[in-house]
Amino acid sequence: MADKKLTTEEILALARKGGVAPKPTAESPATEESVGASPSEAPAKPAAAKPSSTADILAAARAGGTSAAAPKASPAAKPGSTADILAAARAGKAGGAAAPAKPQTGGEGVKKAPVAAKSVGDRPSVADMVKAAREGAPTAVPAAKPKLPAKPVLPGKKAAEESTRRSFFAEAVTFVTEPFMAAWIAMGAIGAIWGLAVARFMMPNMIVEPPTKFKIGPESDYPPGTVSTKWKAERGIWVVNTDQYNGKQLIYALLSVCTHLGCTPNWLEGEQKFKCPCHGSGFYITGINFEGPAPRPLERVGIRVAPDGSLEVDKSVKFQEELGQWGDAASFVEMA
Amino acid sequence: MDPHPDLTASVIRGLGWFYLLMAAMNAFWTIRVFKTGTYYESVAGFKHIPKAAPWAIFTALLFMVGAVQVRFDSDPADFVLKLPVVFKDLVDVVIANPISYFALSMVIFVAMIWLRRWWTKPTVAWILLNFAMLFLCVSMTDYDFRQIVGKPDNVPIVGMLFLVGFFTWLYFSKSVENDRRIAAGEPKIEDEQSEQVLVWPDLVYTEMICMLLLTALLIAWGIALQAPLEEPASAVKTPNPSKAPWYFLGLQEMLVYYDPWMAGVVLPSVILVGLMAIPYIDFNPKGNGYYTFDERKFSIITFLFGFLPLWVGMIVLGTFIRGPNWNMFGPYEYWDVHKLEVLNNIDLSQMFWVDWLGKPLPKPDPNASFWMQAGTIILREWLGFALILGYLFLLPPLLAVTVFRKFFIKMGFLRFMVLANLILLMGALPLKMALRWAFTLKYIVSIPEWFFNI
Repeated sequence: MADKKLTTEEILALARKGGVAPKPTAESPATEESVGASPSEAPAKPAAAKPSSTADILAAARAGGTSAAAPKASPAAKPGSTADILAAARAGKAGGAAAPAKPQTGGEGVKKAPVAAKSVGDRPSVADMVKAAREGAPTAVPAAKPKLPAKPVLPGKKAAEESTRRSFFAEAVTFVTEPFMAAWIAMGAIGAIWGLAVARFMMPNMIVEPPTKFKIGPESDYPPGTVSTKWKAERGIWVVNTDQYNGKQLIYALLSVCTHLGCTPNWLEGEQKFKCPCHGSGFYITGINFEGPAPRPLERVGIRVAPDGSLEVDKSVKFQEELGQWGDAASFVEMA
Repeated sequence: MDPHPDLTASVIRGLGWFYLLMAAMNAFWTIRVFKTGTYYESVAGFKHIPKAAPWAIFTALLFMVGAVQVRFDSDPADFVLKLPVVFKDLVDVVIANPISYFALSMVIFVAMIWLRRWWTKPTVAWILLNFAMLFLCVSMTDYDFRQIVGKPDNVPIVGMLFLVGFFTWLYFSKSVENDRRIAAGEPKIEDEQSEQVLVWPDLVYTEMICMLLLTALLIAWGIALQAPLEEPASAVKTPNPSKAPWYFLGLQEMLVYYDPWMAGVVLPSVILVGLMAIPYIDFNPKGNGYYTFDERKFSIITFLFGFLPLWVGMIVLGTFIRGPNWNMFGPYEYWDVHKLEVLNNIDLSQMFWVDWLGKPLPKPDPNASFWMQAGTIILREWLGFALILGYLFLLPPLLAVTVFRKFFIKMGFLRFMVLANLILLMGALPLKMALRWAFTLKYIVSIPEWFFNI
């Protein structure tokens, strides 16, 4: 009888039936002997079997009241369930009072024990463990390996066994809706979406840079003494036709990047100058810097007359005035 | 009808609430003065006038103005409480000119230190606060002022200016009081206070109240002022004017006078390293744990000079004064994109060779070897190099034997050299500004070939 273990359901059923804590199985020797209130009697019990769980050990410890008695008392106690623990705990009340060590703690632990035991089923509550530790049974705790009660046979399992005649589709649904499989499927799906996102990332949403060489139309589009801003937004250049640089009528392309800090200046027709909105640098129509902090003139880019007669700008080459590069024939087109 | 009317009825009503706020503030002040129970012995024949009386009259006046304006519904053109045009023009002329702007900021800075015993008196400080608020309020009747000050970006900056004023006042009022006590041999304010403060409830309650008020402020702010979003960024379209975040406007102002390499890298690094070096340079043990001005005049004046005119002053300049094309505009001036400012400036080498010697600028031969070119460039810029080297290497020893004699003896060579160089580099900014304004000087050393300009 002592070997037989009760499941939680059975204990609950018993509790409902009897309404009293001590069960037939709980009529363990530990209870009676502890009521006898003699810790020294505990070692005398026959060690019938190994302790089945931490709970057993704790209960025995409570019943014994001293650490020395605990390991030996537990085999005899052999409580298989919460009810056993409760019973043992109650018994321990008397034993604890008799025990020399910490009678107060023992009393408190007993008061708490039923509540804690109810809430955690057939495992020892934290309060129990702490109490056991206080009472000096730490050596027993690691030695004990909690043995789980036999799993009850769930009704769902039985149904699955009986379903051999069901259709493949129903089988598949059952299989897929099992939580374990559902989790794997969800993870796989997320991985797939993520993989697609990575693949999309490899094809960035960018604008392909326009070719550095492009035609800007015939010379006649750029009358003398003007600055054309029509290529500024698209290509970042101004096309200037002026005779102010060296007295000759030149067409050249200026890069619309301020030489101070790289903002885009504006061409002010009324003032006949390029003016930067960031720090106030100003450039003449020739591109020469004259006000504000810009340290050098705007840069020219390559320009030539293409074989078809239209002007062709080449942004891959730059010409800097301070390096004497504006004399380069590739940096301007001289009007006939 | 004028598309940009100076005044609308809603603006006048809004200002009415502002006047009512001022009336409430002054009501509290009146009560505070009345509770002191002080009297003027005789004013214009009347005897025994309480000092609270003028404040009561002022409060009543503010209340009436506010009450009338809150219910304003007639023609805004008839509104009288606004700035005279003469005053606006005068302010515009003074503020829009960099020389007078910085001169004014220096005058205020010197007056702040010189008159610290006067302006830290509670009554004087209160009057100054009232003036500042009235100035703001009356100026709001101007369309251009309202545009620039009322911009959602700039409203918090206006608030912060009041905060800067308050904290400066707090420092000076405490240190003036402490200096008086030290001179009289009395214990300092801090000595009389307990060094310990209760966490609960004092600190925790204060923190909670601050948290609630700040949350309320943020919610009100978030609802009242919309986030200043602009059109999508474009590589070819730079907003005009193009302004840095407010806390970088000091740097942006530096960039007007220096090469990006100097103003963007060297000087900010020097500022940071210099601030970090303060504990190692400052050998004065006084002022540790208490407010004082007299015991550490040099360090406080140096710091405040760097902070108020050079940092806060330039943030104000960048926020409110700089307009299209980075020109300077008065606070009441229309932001005209075509405002013409003659800013032609030339390099020192140009001045030296062309203007003074009447020779053409030495031009490096592009075909010559690198060393030949370098020689020509250095010959072209020799005067600038000499000035810079002299400034950084000759001035410190010169200072050590003259102005900073005592410092040099106390500090030792290394610490003194660090201090002298930091001060000279800080002084380089206003010096370069002054040179730009006075002589239209662009760069002292200008070597665009090597991207090296000072």
